[in-house]
Amino acid sequence: MKIALFNNRNDLREFIRKYGTVIGALILFIVFSLIIERFLTASNILMLLRQMSMLTIIALGFNFVMGAGGFDMSIGSACGLIAMVFALTLLGTGSLLLALSAALLCGLLVGLINGMLVAYIGLPDFIATFAVGSIIYGVKMLMTRGNPVSYPSDISPVFAFIGRGFVGPFPFPVIIMFFIFILTVFVLYRTSFGRRVYAIGGNPVASLYAGINIKKYRLATFVISGLSVALASIILTSRLGSAQPLAGEEFLLDVIAVVFLSTTMFGEGEPTPSGTFIGALIISMLNNGLTMLNVPYYFQFITKGSVVIVAVLLAVTLGQKLRIKFL
Amino acid sequence: MPEFIGINRNILEAEGLGKEFNDVWVLRKIDFDLRTSEIHSLVGENGAGKSTFIKILSGVHSPDEGMIKFDAKPVVFHSVKDSEDTGIRTVHQEINLVPFFTVYENIFLGSDRKRTVLGLPTVDNKTMRAEAARVLGELGVELDVNKKAHLLNASMERVVEICKVLVQKPKVIIFDEPTTSLGESERVRLLEVIKNLKKKGIGIIFISHNLEEVTGISDRITVFRDGAKIDTINEEDASPAKIISMMLGDKTYYDYKKVCSHRIDEVCLEVENLNTHRLKDISFKLYQGEILGIAGVVGAGKSEIARALVGIDRLDSGRIRIHNQDYQPSPERAVTSGLAFVPEERQAQGLILNYSVMKNITLTYLKKWCRWGFIIDSVEEKKSTEKYIKSLSIKTTGPTQLIKFLSGGNQQKVILARWLDGDFKIGIFDEPTKGIDVKTKEDIYHLLDDLAKKGNSAIVLSSYLPELLSVCNRILVVHEGRIVTEICPSEPGAQEKIMSAMLGGVKVS
Ligand SMILES: Nc1ncnc2c1ncn2[C@@H]1O[C@H](COP(=O)(O)OP(=O)(O)OP(=O)(O)O)[C@@H](O)[C@H]1O
Ligand SMILES: [Mg+2]
Repeated sequence: MKIALFNNRNDLREFIRKYGTVIGALILFIVFSLIIERFLTASNILMLLRQMSMLTIIALGFNFVMGAGGFDMSIGSACGLIAMVFALTLLGTGSLLLALSAALLCGLLVGLINGMLVAYIGLPDFIATFAVGSIIYGVKMLMTRGNPVSYPSDISPVFAFIGRGFVGPFPFPVIIMFFIFILTVFVLYRTSFGRRVYAIGGNPVASLYAGINIKKYRLATFVISGLSVALASIILTSRLGSAQPLAGEEFLLDVIAVVFLSTTMFGEGEPTPSGTFIGALIISMLNNGLTMLNVPYYFQFITKGSVVIVAVLLAVTLGQKLRIKFL
Repeated sequence: MPEFIGINRNILEAEGLGKEFNDVWVLRKIDFDLRTSEIHSLVGENGAGKSTFIKILSGVHSPDEGMIKFDAKPVVFHSVKDSEDTGIRTVHQEINLVPFFTVYENIFLGSDRKRTVLGLPTVDNKTMRAEAARVLGELGVELDVNKKAHLLNASMERVVEICKVLVQKPKVIIFDEPTTSLGESERVRLLEVIKNLKKKGIGIIFISHNLEEVTGISDRITVFRDGAKIDTINEEDASPAKIISMMLGDKTYYDYKKVCSHRIDEVCLEVENLNTHRLKDISFKLYQGEILGIAGVVGAGKSEIARALVGIDRLDSGRIRIHNQDYQPSPERAVTSGLAFVPEERQAQGLILNYSVMKNITLTYLKKWCRWGFIIDSVEEKKSTEKYIKSLSIKTTGPTQLIKFLSGGNQQKVILARWLDGDFKIGIFDEPTKGIDVKTKEDIYHLLDDLAKKGNSAIVLSSYLPELLSVCNRILVVHEGRIVTEICPSEPGAQEKIMSAMLGGVKVS
């Protein structure tokens, strides 16, 4: 069977390099379906998708930043800040529209600050966005002294729908997620913007020499990342029914795991939207499945970390051998 | 080894060597032999298979047919190391030095000499310095082994690359286009170095698109065409004209010479007192329809002028006007103001290596293939790419092939195609024919002439003087960041005058 499929070991290696992560996701799915009774039920699958929607949305935004060769460490902190801004505006004005705008504006601002520091001032992205994340953490603690902001549950029925509503059998966040996914694929692969984002990630010097304003594009990717965090944060707040300053803090680790899984997929060496989706699926399946198995939450961290190491290791070792071959 | 086997025994042989990539044979049934104390050149058009052939010899690729013999014994190379252990070393086209390491540290990179101090193995700097100095001396090159690599000029960088290879005491050295973008004097110097190596009994494979250079240095010359070997000829029977006809088959070649000027009296670019960290008081005018050459030794500041014009290097002062409009340089405004720029380093500055041929060509003027200014129309994009693949005869399997799989010269054509697709008015070409074969070179010269005829202008920066002399209306000479003189190629003694100005006014006999 193997012999028929692959002419030689290189083909097999290439296949594993490209689709290893996808196969991993499938195996995980099958194993969970077999050992967990209620895993493979329509309601659990829909719940899984709803759980992963926020992670996927943030990771898709991150896809732009990383596609252009950057990194954004501020996403976790920003999520909580945006939730606070959102809730406080909603409480203060009673207008959902204003609150939504304020949240998106806040995400945009965080993105602008990150982008300015990295693209225009030239600070290293890891350090700059990490520092911004740290400042944001301080600011939101200052704003609320760490207390959640709650609001009356009848403040806006439309608002509750965002995180908890259904369209037919589908949770509304899942519909948003698929919409964002399609939008991301379209922008990255069908527009001049996406083409240039990946070009900058591939070779920033050559992109500059080709006449591309790489500062502008890099700034834009951070803004997109900020906006996607804002969207996820709105969904999260609506689902929780209150704004927690520390909500979403754990997204940072999960998103990093997702984008690394994504870069190892399809042998491209750069994150792709479909890779990001499958990566988010793997991480969410682990969260969901391990919780259903009553595994203590700290063990989930150990598992997620190991999964990332194995995936990256696999891709790097296989990839490296191939790269030397092509040199 | 007994003496009587003599100086000229075969050291390296290839029998029926071939290589295929994705079911396309790029090299077929190559028979080749190299003797000791011989310089054996490989020539052929871009994509003829020269680099692929030497990559098989150096263990980068494994052959899909045929075999290699070293010293009359069959050998199989599974890796670059296998080939190196046998005694074959390659001086690659790209310079690969660690900038802040010294010359001798670079020379011994990865092969440090060790000695034992108090039972502990330590790096033996003294021996390494001495040995590095000895090797440099053997080449007849004066160079301080303690100098940092980033302070070296292009030809000295190449010399250090050669020393890296020499300290390994190889029996065969392969040079892949070692003279591209070297200045005249550096080139001559390097060729001397290579001849000295030959005297030491080393077998040398030499690849170059400069046929004068090839006929001047070689003992034998092997011509490749479309992945096949056409013939091997001896130095006595070789002339550039003969090699060209063997290389091209039934294609025609004329010795290009600019015949008429398309220059009209309308200034399109005016540069006044430009200063950057490397340039001093650069002022010149470019006329419509003119092809302006800029000559200078490596490091004189040619590329810096180009980089200042397109806004990559910051201006300290100075003023630039395009068609009488003030222009503040930036890469993006350069494009919108009608400037095109083909940079010198095609891989580092020109190409997105993990992009396809098509995506590399359409990168700059992407908007042209977009509906509503942002959605890419891939059908149109592909059509236009196919047009350029045809008109520049880019050797590729198609628009979607990844650029990294193209031969060096064909990659260069892709960068040219990127700009030709736009509506630029002023083209700045930094070493436009780097790594390009004679025939295509000529096509590019015609292309420049056509551009000029259409009322465009061009600035050509080149360290290869004959090129400037045959394509330009006017030549500026830069020396240490200043324009020192302006010369018309048709005036008597132009070549000597330029060379002397390039060296800062030294008389050249
Ligand atoms: N790894 C690869 N995969 C697919 N095709 C390749 C690969 N390497 C080389 N080729 C193809 O093989 C052909 C020969 O390439 P090669 O680099 O040997 O040419 P060359 O004679 O060195 O040309 P140049 O003078 O332009 O450097 C080209 O058409 C190239 O596209
Ligand atoms: Mg080559």
